[in-house]
Amino acid sequence: MSEPFGQYLRQKRETLLKQDRAYTVRKFAATVGVQPSYISKVEREEVGPPSEATIIRMAEVLHEDPDVLLALAGKVSADLRQVILKRPRLFADLIRQLKDAPDHALLRVVREVRDGQW
Amino acid sequence: MIELKRDALVFSFPEVHPSAVLSVDFQRTLRIPDDDKDYPLPPGLGRFPVRHVDDYAANVPKSWIEHGGVMLPMYQAEALWLNFGSEDVEDRDTPYPFAVMIATGKVNAVSGGTWRNGIHRRPQQDYVVVPEQPWLDGYCVEKGIIRQFVAMPLGAGYTTEEQITGKAEHGGLQIVAYPMKRDVFERRFPKHQRERVCYSAPMPCCCEAPSSMGLAPGGRMRQEIYDDPYDISDWDLDHGSRCFVHITNSMVWRQVSGENPPTTPPTSKEYTDAGLPWFEWYDDKNNPLAGNEALAGMKSVVQMGTQKGDVPLPENQSVTPQHVTALRKGLRRGQVREFEEQKTRDSQQIYM
Repeated sequence: MSEPFGQYLRQKRETLLKQDRAYTVRKFAATVGVQPSYISKVEREEVGPPSEATIIRMAEVLHEDPDVLLALAGKVSADLRQVILKRPRLFADLIRQLKDAPDHALLRVVREVRDGQW
Repeated sequence: MIELKRDALVFSFPEVHPSAVLSVDFQRTLRIPDDDKDYPLPPGLGRFPVRHVDDYAANVPKSWIEHGGVMLPMYQAEALWLNFGSEDVEDRDTPYPFAVMIATGKVNAVSGGTWRNGIHRRPQQDYVVVPEQPWLDGYCVEKGIIRQFVAMPLGAGYTTEEQITGKAEHGGLQIVAYPMKRDVFERRFPKHQRERVCYSAPMPCCCEAPSSMGLAPGGRMRQEIYDDPYDISDWDLDHGSRCFVHITNSMVWRQVSGENPPTTPPTSKEYTDAGLPWFEWYDDKNNPLAGNEALAGMKSVVQMGTQKGDVPLPENQSVTPQHVTALRKGLRRGQVREFEEQKTRDSQQIYM
């Protein structure tokens, strides 16, 4: 998770390319809606990560979680930003307190859809 | 457990298998004409917003809190389809299989039966199998034909629930998912070298919640509901999860949730006139179920309206789809008949 965004992007795209020619730089760029040269630059870390909308589009095309790609790019999605801004102190505190918690403990705070009496 | 992620219900069963994860989302779509012609599959126009009912306890009927679950907004006479997805299992070249039972107003959408716990193959299969069944657009009325899910107010006599049971009690959608047993999954799919190859004002109704909606049978559409290719004993009935999906009228969604509802979708005529594609799905490896007599015997919304002297579906003109895109089994994960706004309105570029 700590690898640079461009490196991660390239590795995911090339893994998919082994099975599907739709993941050449040219075709991937066309599907995402950017220039192939831009993809090459992003993958080589010659430019900074793309905009949030482009990263979300890339995640869809690569079947990746957009939050993971955004995090690698040092960004937080607009919807998460809104959530945090409503109660910034509380969420900052919550995240700091949970930073070292193991996955199984974090899963306990994930909210489930409640089932009731039908 | 069931979580709500980006407007999709995510059913996960880590106690069965780490990859036993099923997602179900609710796609906005065109309402196909209810004119007794058979239409191809309409597109997906994006997900309906879905919210926890508990977050709006002060604004929803008490019965919704008793039921638990989630809610979504639909305009009267708006249509919807269910989009299923399950996670690929590494080294097994397949998504994890699930048996999924869907009911509307607690009437089974596949068998027409009233609510029963568990899944059944006799006298008629009452569930769909995912990933074999990628979507469900309506009620199984004939072999290869469904009637589209169309939202109507509960209590006005149109919904499937009212037509089959004579009561307007539940409304909404009910979904239950069962994963395949882990040992069966591992036996059937052994590890191998990976080769990933009217939008009108609500009608008056007599029920507890004036905004409660149910689903009713709309126009006819070509869609096969597949026979379970596995054994009924392959499903892990000890690990089912279920969710009640309440439907509220979009006209009051803002009052209930504080958010604006999605805009009204285009009519079939507007969509077709714009030259946009419809879809056909082919899967010659799975056998379609026969339709259900009870479901086939229901009156469509227009037929019921005629009987009542109402015009329940505005803008119900017949259309002749000119561009029909064939989709075949074997789509990559994440590929659905989804309309993508970011792309041009070119049939070649609509995601398939």
